[in-house]
Amino acid sequence: MADLDVKFDDREDRRDRGRYNRDNRGGNNKRRRDDEDDHHYTPRDDRRGPQRRRRDDYPRDGQRRGRYEEPPFPKLRRMIVNIASTAKLPEDESIEIARLLRDHYDDEDIRNQFFDVFVQLIVDQPFKIPFVAAVAFYGNQVKAEITTEAMKRVGERLQESLAAGQWREFKLLLRFFACLQPIFEEDGIFTLLGQLFDTVVDLQSANENDVVGIELVKIILLTIPYAIASGGDRFHDKANELLNSTGIVAGNTLPVEALIHPYDDDIEDTVINYHSVIGLLQQQLTAESQSGWKLACIPKFHVDAMQRTNPEDTLQATPATHVFPTFTIPSPVNPGSKPLFPEAYFSLFANQESSIVPALNDIAASLIRDAIVDTIDQLDFNREVVAKFLVDLDCYWSHGTFANRGIALDKFLQEFGNDKATYKSEDMVIDAIFSLLFKLPTPEHKLVYYHSLITQCCKAAPAAIAPSLGRAIRSIYKNLHAMDLELGHRFLDWFSHHLSNFEFRWRWAEWIDDLKLSKLEPKKAFIVAALDKEIRLSFAKRVRQTLPEEFSLLIPERLDEDNSPEFKYEKPETPYAAEGQMLLQQLRKKATHEQVQETIDRIHAQAEEQGISDVLVPSTDAFVTAICRLGAKSLSHFLSCVERGRERLVNIAQQSDSARRQIVTSVVEYWKDQPGIAVRIIDLLLNYTILAPMTVIQWVFGDHMGAGEALTESWVFEMVSNTVTKVTNRNRQIASARLQRGLPAEQVEMVDATLTKDRDNARELFRYIEDACRGLAEGAADRLIEKESSGALSAEDGQLIRAWGKRWSMVFVRKSAIEESVVGEQAVEARIKFLAAQPEPEVVELVKVDEANGAGAEDGDTAME
Amino acid sequence: MPAIRKNTVERLDRPSSYATSKNRRKNNRRDDDSRRDPTPEFEDKLKDATTLYVGNLSFYTTEEQIHELFSKCGEIKRLVMGLDRFQKTPCGFCFVEYYTHQDALDCMKYIGGTKLDERVIRTDLDEGFAEGRQYGRGKSGGQVRDEYRNEFDPGRGGYGRAYADEYDD
Repeated sequence: MADLDVKFDDREDRRDRGRYNRDNRGGNNKRRRDDEDDHHYTPRDDRRGPQRRRRDDYPRDGQRRGRYEEPPFPKLRRMIVNIASTAKLPEDESIEIARLLRDHYDDEDIRNQFFDVFVQLIVDQPFKIPFVAAVAFYGNQVKAEITTEAMKRVGERLQESLAAGQWREFKLLLRFFACLQPIFEEDGIFTLLGQLFDTVVDLQSANENDVVGIELVKIILLTIPYAIASGGDRFHDKANELLNSTGIVAGNTLPVEALIHPYDDDIEDTVINYHSVIGLLQQQLTAESQSGWKLACIPKFHVDAMQRTNPEDTLQATPATHVFPTFTIPSPVNPGSKPLFPEAYFSLFANQESSIVPALNDIAASLIRDAIVDTIDQLDFNREVVAKFLVDLDCYWSHGTFANRGIALDKFLQEFGNDKATYKSEDMVIDAIFSLLFKLPTPEHKLVYYHSLITQCCKAAPAAIAPSLGRAIRSIYKNLHAMDLELGHRFLDWFSHHLSNFEFRWRWAEWIDDLKLSKLEPKKAFIVAALDKEIRLSFAKRVRQTLPEEFSLLIPERLDEDNSPEFKYEKPETPYAAEGQMLLQQLRKKATHEQVQETIDRIHAQAEEQGISDVLVPSTDAFVTAICRLGAKSLSHFLSCVERGRERLVNIAQQSDSARRQIVTSVVEYWKDQPGIAVRIIDLLLNYTILAPMTVIQWVFGDHMGAGEALTESWVFEMVSNTVTKVTNRNRQIASARLQRGLPAEQVEMVDATLTKDRDNARELFRYIEDACRGLAEGAADRLIEKESSGALSAEDGQLIRAWGKRWSMVFVRKSAIEESVVGEQAVEARIKFLAAQPEPEVVELVKVDEANGAGAEDGDTAME
Repeated sequence: MPAIRKNTVERLDRPSSYATSKNRRKNNRRDDDSRRDPTPEFEDKLKDATTLYVGNLSFYTTEEQIHELFSKCGEIKRLVMGLDRFQKTPCGFCFVEYYTHQDALDCMKYIGGTKLDERVIRTDLDEGFAEGRQYGRGKSGGQVRDEYRNEFDPGRGGYGRAYADEYDD
């Protein structure tokens, strides 16, 4: 009982600490919910919980108050939803719920509603599955129908998710059954796991690059420990047998896995080497089986708890055993609507010597990680609740799995330094969130979700989370040179966004020595880019205030002034100065097409005299720079200026490729101190098809790259990946339009033609990028060779550029391969074949999904054409 | 197939109480005029919403800043800054329109309640921008909430304007 009290105090304490920023409140009560920084989410049903408890604990004048009897369903709902989150023992809670349910079991409404919540809870709140299963487990001892009904309802949902290829839900629902293993006859869940493995064998023998089988093996491996933890030693042999068969699949490496390494394995001493999730699981389980399947972290329930709490209130006979329900594994297996990939296990802290988080060979690493990750990804619609669950992580695992919340690192090392089975919960939470932020090839949700979740965790438990977060940042920063470049950019984007939520507070001073580094060093490039990104979300003067002076020098002074960037044609020495100024005047006064043409012709005449081969280049420069100047006030102003010059710009684009690239040059040059705005404008010009994707890519690698120095500029990477994403998104929309069921034949032909053409364009784009990056990576690019041999570039810098080239190359080779696996001929054909084989009922759902995508595609069209 | 599955946790991508109560007021008014065709139901109107109302911005927050943050949830189709009706200067709100409903919902979930320009901003699903809605509806041209504010808010013009006028007189 003593430690439960501590827990409760702990909670109060955290709440106090959360109240650190009261002053920031906007003062408007209506908006209190949004403005309050220390907002703690309490689910609606939670509210009554603590109050009631308090009332029970310290009864006031009982007679005067008149006891309020909570109706049965709301009470049941509140109890099950909050199971394991209160100060009570989860075992007692499960028993109490089972009894209350038994007392009202004859009421059909209550029963139905209760099981609706019951099933949804498994899918929504993965941490609670063992506890929810315990309700069915103890229910079996008071009224076997409770268990029968629970199995029926969860089973229906399980079959549904299996048929639809919703693998995460399937895994969670399966875990519920695993936790009920002791009440099943014979092998229980192992029969189903065996069938699933047979399916894996079929899938793998049909296709050596199959990924669905990998997903299934992951599910099998993550289910075994729960079944053993509940079922006990009579299933050890079954588990070992299954492990023997999964070994081959789990130990296998697919070619595509080479593309999803978070860190370059060729570089020594980085954060973590590549481990596939299933490979690691297989090793951990094998180790666990050798040490007798302790599975220490999984909460366990005692069969005789019921008798202990209330001996006379139990069924006299021995509890019923149940036949494990039969499920149909569809053939062919539905791969699901989301593209599947093998997964890498990511951890920032696992390689450290002390056991702050479980070591890589510890099954707890995978089990706890898996549950955290599912909680985060299933509940993306309420980050406030997720943050609360994460802060309460220790409630959901067996006692002693974690040190006290918020324990300082040195104290932890002192007390648990040698204890390999006690972990620091905050570090595990941060580790898990970063694993999602850094998931390759694509994150489950938009990255900004993980940004806001970290922010939310910092609000919920600032004193506990902040130090772990600091350690995470330092560890990532230290190894930036070895990190996948796309991940480096995700980190950059998160870092700047995160700081913008916390008054830009960061101990910049500790990176001061890195300012001396060459601009080509990843660390230096990161600092420069982070400041730029901070400014984009705020403004230069503000960011400058938050920095040590040395860093402040990186921000151009001009940005402190509240005016537009200079217009180069105002300087008389600029070629075509008079014409440039004239164009600006004409645009401002909305002069006629002819008047503008007159000025442009004057530029052409002068340029021709000077022997410039493409006279459209200088005139385009003047025209676009004038538009930038006139539209400098805001993006809306810019857009209305572009509208005015649109026709001319489209004509330029059609006439000359070099003039088209000049559009990019002029925009970037005008906004050289705020490249973020240039990137945004280029994106808009792509939508107007004033620029083509290839224009941007050729500008980057042809006009702007130099000897490769531009590879270090984060905004250049941003521009290239935005452009590529625009192209690939469109292709995916077309592909999903093609997969629409019941598409008329003539439309099939049309969509197929578009898809073929655009797929080829995308391939060409990728090829161009890959060739250019490879040239720099291998040191074969002309300008790199030139600069190196002339001595303009030192040998070290040359090596740095090669390393950047390699990192760039990896990103786009991956992106290209991923697109092939989604919109490539093979992928689309396989999908068409699969859909054709589906029975009718599937249609309704599929059409609905595709309608949404189809609408998106149309929008995309108007935007692109 | 079960009809609607209610999550066990409240969702952040639902229209706010403000949008709901605004609709209720409208409905009440409509009841008086029973001959008119009923307008589509409120929930229906928002079920494909791609636009968000964004509130509690600083007057100094720029379009570029808004773009930088909100494009983290998807490509922005249109951004309309809320302006003071008389001065035509930003007055602390805007409408952000995405290409897809999902992006708008994600924005509710991931951006609503976080900070932009160091202020906690508010997002709400909106039935779509219509000309005229970009202007403040307060007496002095800004938003109503800035008319009668007792606290000093440097990002939103200081004290409430109604009071500021009093001091001037």
